[in-house]
Order: sequence, then structure tokens, then C-alpha cells
Amino acid sequence: MTAFRLAAGGLVDRSQTVPFSFDGARLSGHAGDTLASALLANDRLLVGRSFKYHRPRGIVTAGPAEPNALVTVGSGARRDPNTKATVAELYDGLTATSQNRWPSLSWDIGAVNNLMSRFLSAGFYYKTFMWPAAFWEKVYEPLIRHAAGLGRTDLPRDPDGYEKSWAHCDLLVVGSGPAGLAAALVAARSGLRVILAEQDFALGGALLSETTRLDGEPPVVFARRVIEELQANPNVTLLARTTVFGWYDDNVFGAVERVQKHSAVVDAARPVERLWRIVAKHAVLATGAEERPLVFGGNDRPGVMTASAVSAYANRFGVAVGKSVAVFTNGSSGYRTARDLTSQGIEIAAVIDTRTNAADTAPDGVRLIRGGSVVDTKGRQRLRAIVTDRGGFEELLACDAVAMSGGWSPVIHLACQRGGKPVWSEALQAFMAPEVGAGLVIAGAAAGHYRLSECVEDGARKASAVVEALGHSVAGFDRPAVGEEVDPSFTALWHVPGAKSKAFVDFQNDVHTKDLGLAVREGFGHVEHAKRYTTGGMATDQGKLGNINAIGILAAMRGVSPADVGTTTFRPFYTPVSFGALAGTSVDEHAMPTRRSPLHGWAARNGAVFIDAGLWYRSSWFPKEGEKTWRDSVDREVRTVRENAGLCDVSTLGKIEVFGPDAAEFLNRLYCNPVLKLPIGKARYGLMLREDGMVYDDGTVSRLGEAHFLVTTTTAMAGGVLSHMEFATQVLWPDLRVRFLSVSDQWAQMSIAGPKARTILQAVVEDDLSDAAVPFLAAREVRLKGNLKARLFRISFSGELAYELAVPAGHGEAAADALMRAGQPHGLCAYGVEALNVLRIEKGHVTHAELDGRVTPDDAGLGRMMGSAKHDFIGKRLSTRFGLTAADRAQLVGLKALEADKDFRAGAHLLKDGAKPSTLNDQGWVSSACFSPTLGGHIALAFLKSGRERYGEKIVVWDQLRGVETMAEVCNPVFVDPENRKLMA
Amino acid sequence: MAYDYQAVHALDGTIGAISERRANHLAVHRATAIAVVLAAPGQTAEAAGILVANGEFEARFSGPGEWLILSEVHAPETLCAELSVRLGDFAFVIDQSHGRVALTLAGPDAARILANGIAIDLHADVFPVGRAANVLCNHLSVNLARTAADSFDLVVMRSFAEALVDDLKTMARSHELSVDFATR
Amino acid sequence: MASLIPCPHCGTRPRQEFSVRGDATPVRPAPMAADEVWNDYMHVRANPRGRIREHWQHIAGCRRWLVVERDNFTHEVFSVSDASLEQGGAR
Repeated sequence: MTAFRLAAGGLVDRSQTVPFSFDGARLSGHAGDTLASALLANDRLLVGRSFKYHRPRGIVTAGPAEPNALVTVGSGARRDPNTKATVAELYDGLTATSQNRWPSLSWDIGAVNNLMSRFLSAGFYYKTFMWPAAFWEKVYEPLIRHAAGLGRTDLPRDPDGYEKSWAHCDLLVVGSGPAGLAAALVAARSGLRVILAEQDFALGGALLSETTRLDGEPPVVFARRVIEELQANPNVTLLARTTVFGWYDDNVFGAVERVQKHSAVVDAARPVERLWRIVAKHAVLATGAEERPLVFGGNDRPGVMTASAVSAYANRFGVAVGKSVAVFTNGSSGYRTARDLTSQGIEIAAVIDTRTNAADTAPDGVRLIRGGSVVDTKGRQRLRAIVTDRGGFEELLACDAVAMSGGWSPVIHLACQRGGKPVWSEALQAFMAPEVGAGLVIAGAAAGHYRLSECVEDGARKASAVVEALGHSVAGFDRPAVGEEVDPSFTALWHVPGAKSKAFVDFQNDVHTKDLGLAVREGFGHVEHAKRYTTGGMATDQGKLGNINAIGILAAMRGVSPADVGTTTFRPFYTPVSFGALAGTSVDEHAMPTRRSPLHGWAARNGAVFIDAGLWYRSSWFPKEGEKTWRDSVDREVRTVRENAGLCDVSTLGKIEVFGPDAAEFLNRLYCNPVLKLPIGKARYGLMLREDGMVYDDGTVSRLGEAHFLVTTTTAMAGGVLSHMEFATQVLWPDLRVRFLSVSDQWAQMSIAGPKARTILQAVVEDDLSDAAVPFLAAREVRLKGNLKARLFRISFSGELAYELAVPAGHGEAAADALMRAGQPHGLCAYGVEALNVLRIEKGHVTHAELDGRVTPDDAGLGRMMGSAKHDFIGKRLSTRFGLTAADRAQLVGLKALEADKDFRAGAHLLKDGAKPSTLNDQGWVSSACFSPTLGGHIALAFLKSGRERYGEKIVVWDQLRGVETMAEVCNPVFVDPENRKLMA
Repeated sequence: MAYDYQAVHALDGTIGAISERRANHLAVHRATAIAVVLAAPGQTAEAAGILVANGEFEARFSGPGEWLILSEVHAPETLCAELSVRLGDFAFVIDQSHGRVALTLAGPDAARILANGIAIDLHADVFPVGRAANVLCNHLSVNLARTAADSFDLVVMRSFAEALVDDLKTMARSHELSVDFATR
Repeated sequence: MASLIPCPHCGTRPRQEFSVRGDATPVRPAPMAADEVWNDYMHVRANPRGRIREHWQHIAGCRRWLVVERDNFTHEVFSVSDASLEQGGAR
């Protein structure tokens, strides 16, 4: 038995000893403890240092509002900083370390700030670090960075897994206290699908630390009975260890479930945390109420806690927070704590009540000081005594803990996260949730019904209304008989006058009453200004405990009501959520899906090097033995295509089949070039514009039947073009009788290019492939030897005699293998997208490197394609506007390097020889560049002002990124076979 | 030279042999014939009427006037021919047997596993047996159909099949799951 | 985390299944309409606060273009309909 563990009582399992460590000390607690209750049982009250002054700080609460007891749990890659000891479930092997102290918790250098605190008033940073400006980077920023932050994370990657799940229900109940359990029970019995979420590891909420009997039994017995019934109901999901942190549009709630955060040994197969997105038809917020601290001199001394926390440690965890406890209260709740402690045999030093004429009575034999207050505390790392004041008469009172009760604030965060402002209740002296519509109702203490019987009744009533709203009939629920209960009335007291030392409002950020006074005097009295000026409410606890007192104090200083001051804005998350949980499984290879080409296996067998291209994984080049660099392979592949033939995977191109009597008319409006008269069995290059006249995408249009087309898109724009076509048919011209479908994944498509392409292909294809039978731009169905139907298109990107052959995807590898075998005697090679890129640059064919959204058809040298005779097409009207037809627009040209040892890079700019680099002197840009094995030098495609008139001119290619300037000659962008002899062969 | 165009399945080589089926099982269908039917403009009701209640194939809704047709008895070519005959001018039929991959996830935790990536309510009252819809599963669009209380079919684009199976395995990490090609 | 859009064809879905194009009120002018008309269509948007009509595509579902009428301040969705019906189309 440890020093402060009571001999009996509480819900901890004394038969189970749970070893853990804190700052290296080996300690033990019991199953059912939080880290905080176990630390208290071990007389470890001092758990951290405050942020600004590094003052010693102890545990203040027994729940998620805790501002002080923030520790780091775990180590290495599993280090979790800023874990609240008050909600951290104790487990075998838990290692916790304190934060914001150096070199140790009890002896901390940073505490010198405390001695300098008169210079570190609110706004200190704003005022001090303004000047001299030169000091900012060298002195102030490193200084602030060193001091900033609470806890620290570690760089090794998190080894744990996370997941995200969707859930749907009729009713989500947030909180499993008396109101929540009653609501869930009524809803479940009435046949609703219910989710009950509780942030604690144990269900029951306040019933776990309550002593008022229900049906003559301890309240936890009642709670367990209800929970068992709910567990047995298949329509109910109970989620313990689950914090509902946010309320979002359309009644979607975000919640985080700590699946394996209570175990030193993590099962790698399961997530450690799960993020729930709960779609709830209705929700009941039964989050209870938070007890307010009292703001008095020295109120941050370790040993000063809220009275409800003192009760919870005694009643639920069987822990005495001190040997002699003073109760300081402004209402009835303090007396309840006094009774709880007396019944557990814990000594009460005195009950100090700020009210002079309250009817409450202290337990027998306990000294009661009415109309008194605490004005100072003594002790270093733990409270030794308090100084009380009654009518100007001060008294030093020995005690090692203070249970303070400053009244109650309903926990309404979730209800205020979607813009609703809290409403001040004069009667309850608290901010209440606004009316937020039928989707979310507040029940129990969160709605200001503090008595136990009211909580149960209100929970049942709110759930009954939901049941009726959903058209079910309400099932019965016998209310438990409630024993003697406390009326938690209080007289609000925002700060205790006559403080002899700092009276803290925000414990974590060290904001005290004088800081707020300074904020008001200096004109920052608005609640949002005061927050930023003093940093009150900006710490990791977001002012859950302190804000209400800050608002009360501001109101008093400004001579207005708290209603006039209002609150700062409530935003998700209620408590911090790990990045891991937010990312879920979307990490590593699951962050983006990988698309695999149907020819992937063929490419891999042929030794391809793959690259990521968008979502695709494409074959880039095919190294052969002896080739040292990628350039060796690419140059060889290009030469082989030009001299013999090559086979390339082009399956990633978008393929869309278009049907319907208006298919031709639709495509005629979609492309800038004419499509209507395209003959059956023929393909045509197609250029699609945006409505603003710029090129959107290019590809081919093939007519397979009178009312049946196949269009291709670039790989990158496949998805975009499909949406664009859907917009055109569904929004712009819904009267067109046309239907289409993306068939991209149905076909494996390969390009066979080179002078020997026909010979090789003919070895595999049954049909006659002679130029007469399959002329340039033919598009038709063929049959491969071995009886496989395929589609054949005589189109060329390389400028060579070339075909694209499409076969059903599953047969792709076999067809490619057959072609490779047939091509072997003719020197056929596999080539990748790098060689494809070189081949098309040599031929002056554009891609999205050129068609970057700023380029018109004429800029790209494709102006004559425009069907100016057409009545309408997308982009027609605006392509005639001023500016798009200007003569000095940048036009597509070729560039040949004049210095053999210098290459080009895309992105370089063009300058006249001798001109200074400037925006004014800019003549254009390089869009694509490569080494051309065919020409034996570096070449590029570029856009140059009035470029088509400037062939032969020498120009500077200015590459600021690499610091390279190269001379180049402007030329026709078609470097290879401008007469198209090879193409037509 | 002999020409034999043996079909390669998108998931060939990515699924290891399993010793036994576990509580939940993901079956990859190797030979399901799949077609897409697009109702001709204005003929949606007529096409839908022809596609209902048929022992040879199942029609899965994917959008207005658009269905995925799955058949275990037809070969791709005969399925398309059969559909074309039945539908006549009411619809366009496009073979997608190679373009899509069909999977069946079955087991007591099937709906729970899917809820780790799919947002729709899979309660049997809301998404009953026979219902189908295109849904987002993590980053991928799939056609989801409920075929029994604890059995769902997923149809995905071929190029994404491997990514989907990887995702499903991750979604099922807290549950027992085995993956294998279906045997017929 | 999410917001939900009731697709008239697929049911209620999270917004992640959709892509938003923007204002659904401009109607594509006749091919030879005046410069000002085309300029308005392409470039001029009112950007009001409150109730607006937008084009959304159910990209991961039925792939239909929808007109979503919603409040861009409260995010309340008033109605969702198929865009082709909005335009009085043949389907």
C-alpha cells in the first residue's frame, strides 16, 4: 500500500499491481488507475513546470480539462508528448516523463523566469522583440524558439498503424454519465441504432465517482446494469476510450478511439488509434459540467485541485490527495467533497466558504469559516499551508491540499463548433449551449441540470423526443430512486480579492489576474484581443478550465456582464488529435493508389526501369548489358526505332468510346477541328480547346461506325477530359443524343514504330497490312494470328511508319511477347517513355509540356486545324479575341544547340544576344529538351515571340537555375523528316 | 510460330497461396464476363426493364441509364452478343471483361471491414441485398453490391485492382481475412 | 471531417466523392453573342454570400453533373438535382 492509497474503496482492482515509471523512478499503481491517480497514490504531486515561469505545477483535475499534468508517455518513435496524466490509463510498463524542465523537475533552471516575472508581463514579447530589427533573426527568434513549445516529438517515423472508419446511427450519445446512459437506454429500448461514446476508459462518467445512491445501491451498480443491457443490444455500439472531438456539417461527428494506447506492447496488426466519422441522424450531448477553479493568491501551488477531482480521486480511485485537506468553496459542491473525504477518514483542515450566509453545513467536527477566503499559499513543491482572510483577519492554516470549488460550467464545446455562440445564463452564472437545431440536443449537466435525478430524467426525456421524431414509439424506462443529492448552487466569484501573490487564471500559460488588468488598460479588453494579448486560453488545454474566470474578470474590470464580454470561438478539436489518426491508412503506398499497365509484366520481363507518372507506374527505358547511363539506353532505343523498329507501351492513354446518333455532332463541338466528315475506318488528330480558347488536350478521334467513335486523350488528362465531356453533354447540350464510356482499362495498347514496323506486324496479323489496305490514319479491327480480335490504328508519334495495336488487356502481355518474337530477326527493341519523348521532340510533336494552358492552337503551329467554318465548338468564340491573335505571340520553334558541350533544360528563357535578362527582354521559353541521337546534338522545342519568322536567328538560352547560358539557332520544330516520307512509307 | 494469347489476370502474381480460408474471405474472380450497358438516350426505362430478373447475368446500377453486367455463365463475347440481341436499339453494350476486376468480400465482418474505407451506411435495412452503387473506397471508385447479408461484390478498374486489394487488406487489419482466386 | 451531399441518383454521400466546378447560373451564350456576353460568361462572377447554385459532379459515384443549391455561409444544402434536368434536357 502506497502512502496516499486508501485502505479500501474505489473502483481500482487492488489485487492487480501495475508497475510503471515516472522520470525514471519505478512506481506502481492498480488496474483501473489513471496515471494521475497512481502518481497521487505515490505522493508524486509535482508533475510539471508551467510554460512561461517554469513554476512547479501539480495535478489539478481528474479529467480532460487538465492544464498542468502534461507528461510525455513512451519513448523513441512512440513518444507521445503532452499526454494528460488525468486521462491516461495506467498500464504495465508505462513510462512517463515530465516536461518543460531542465535539468530536472525539482531543480529547473528555467524557473529563473519566475524571479524575472515582473519583467515578463503580458504583451512582453510584442513590446520587447520589436526593435532593433537587426536583432530579430540573430537574437530574438532563436531565443523564442528555444523557449517555445511544450513537450517535444521525436524524428524516427511512427511505427504504429492508424485507421479511419465510418459509422452511422440514429442517435449518437456523447458521454456515458447519468444523462448519457439514460438517453442511450431509452433510445436502444425503442429500437434506434445507438452509438455511445465515452472519452474515459471506463463507462459511467460522473457515476464512477458519485456517492449518491441509486435504487439504494452505489451509482456504479446502476451504471453497470445499464451498460450490460446496452452491450447485449445488437443495435448499440459502445465506444469507450473515444473522444468525440468535433461536430461538422450535416451532423457528422469526428471521434478518435484509442485502441491500443493503454498497452506497452502494441499488436502491429491492429491500429493504435481509430478515427471515426459518425454520421448521426440525431445526437445527444451529455458531456457534463466542468468545475471551475477559484482564482486566489498562490492557487497554482501543487496540492491545489478542484473539489470534484479530490472527490473523484477518493471515491473512484481510492486515493487521498493529501493528509489534511482544506476545502475552499463558493457553493454547495465543496461541502459534498468535505463529506466524501470525511467518510473516507481523510482529515479536513477547514471548510472556507466565500459566502456569509449559506445554509450548507460542514461534516461534524469540521471547522467552517463562512465569509472567508484563501489569499495565499505556502510551500515550495507541495502545499504546506494556506493563508485565510476573514474580515481582514489573516490566519495561517496548515494543510497539504486545497479542494477548490468555484461553481460549474456546462461542457458545451461541440454545440458551439459550427458558429453558434454560447448564451449567458444569469440564473446559472454560466455560458449555455445555443439552440443549434434538431440534430444536436444537450442533456443533463451539460444543459445545466446538475442534480443527479435531473440528469437521468433529462437524458431520458431528450432521447424520447428523438425516438418520436424518428417515428418510433418510446419504450419504458423506470427512473431509479435517487438518494440524498446535492444542489450544486453557488455564488459566482471570478477572483478572490486581496491576493498576496500571483492568482492564476490560466495555469498552463501562466496568465494571472494582473495580466488581464494590463490587457484592459492597454486597450485589449475585448475577449478575442485579451486572449492574444495575454495568451490566456491559447495553451494546449485551450482554456477549458480558465477561460470562464478570465471572462468574468474582464467583465468585472470593464463593468459589464459576462454576457457582454462573450466567449472566444470554439473550434474542433475538443482535445488534441494525433496526425497519425487524421492520416489513417493514407500513408506510404496507400497515400495514392498505384495504377498498373496491362503490359507491366511484359515491361518488367524486358528489364524496364519504371517511373511514377501521375498514378501510373510506366516503363521509362530498357537498359541492356553494358549500358552505363540512362542516356546510353535511350539513345540506343531511339536509333533502333529510326533504323529498325521499336515496341512501346501506350496503354495509359485515355480511351473513350462514344455512341449515339449525335456522336459526330458532339465531337464536332468538342474538338476545334472538323469531325463530322471523318470517314468510317479513319482516325484524325484532334485538338480540344477550353472555352477561353487555349488548348486543353490533344489525341486522336477514330470513327468505328456511323454513330460509333473512339477518342483518345493524353495520359495526364484522361480523367479531366472525361469530366469535360460529361459536362458538355449533361450541362451544355443535354439534348444531344450521345452516350460514352471510358474504356481505358479494357485495352492493352502498344505502339510499333520504325521502318520495319509493317513487316513485323504483318507476321502477327492475319489481315493485309499493305499501305493500300491500311493507309496512314486507318483505324480498323483486325484479327491476330491465333484468332485474337484487336484494333489497329496507323498513327505515329515518332514520325516513323507506325501503328498502335490494341488488344483486350489480359491478352496484352501475350500479344507484346508475340510481336517481340516476330521482331527479333528485324532488330525490334522495347522502348520506354524517355525514348518516346525524344522521338516526338525530334518530330516536333507537342505534349502537355507545350500545351500548358497558355497556348493557343496557332501558338503550337496547329492554327490551320481550327474549323473556322464550323458554327460552334468549345473555345471558338473566345479564340478570336484580341490578344489571342496578336502577331508577337510566342510561337512553337525548334532550337539547335550551337555549343556541343552545353545542353538545354525545359524552363530556360530565351533572350536576344547581348540583352540583359529581364521580363521586358524575355523572348520566350524552352518547353522540352533532349539530346537527339538522330541529329547528334542537343535540341529543344521552345516558344519564341513571332518565332516562325525567326528561323535561322541565333538566340541565348538563359537558364538561371543552373547558371548556364547557351547559344542556340532557331529552326523549324520538325527536326526529322519534315516531308513525312517515313510516315507515309 | 505458334500464337497463344493466354490471358493474364490483373492480380496474377500478387496473391500468395493460402493454406486455409479465414473467417472473412476476399475471392478474386478470374473469369467473370463483364459488360457495361448504356441506355440509348431516352430509353433508360426500357433498357432497365430488359435487364431485370435474369438467371444468366446480374445487372448492377452504376448511374442513371448505366449498368455493369456480370455473368458467370457467359464468355465475354457471348455475353455482349446476348445483351445486344435482348436490348436492340434501347442500349449500347460495351465489353469490359478485361477492363474491370470483380471481387467478393464475404464473412461476418465484411460490412465492418468496408466501413474502414466506404462512407455509405451498410446496414442491411439501408443497403439491402440486391442493391448496388458506385462508391468511393478510400481513394478509388468501385461498384459495390450486396449479394447476401454478409457478402459484397466489388468491381474496380483493372489498373487499380492491385491497389484496391492492398487497401482491403489494410482495411481488414483488425479482422481475419484471406485472399485468393475464386474457384468455380 | 465530412459534409454530406444527397445525390439524387446514389443517395447521401460525403463531399469527398464530388468535385466542385463553381457557379451554376451562367448559361453558355450563343456562338455569335457579343463580346460582353461572352466576357460575362467566362470571367464575371457575383460571389454572393448565402444561397448559391453550384455545379458539382459526383465523380466517384454516378458521374452525373448536379446542381447543388446551398448556403455558402452555413453550408446548408437546400436541393440537389441532375444538371441535365435543370436545363430542360431531353433525358
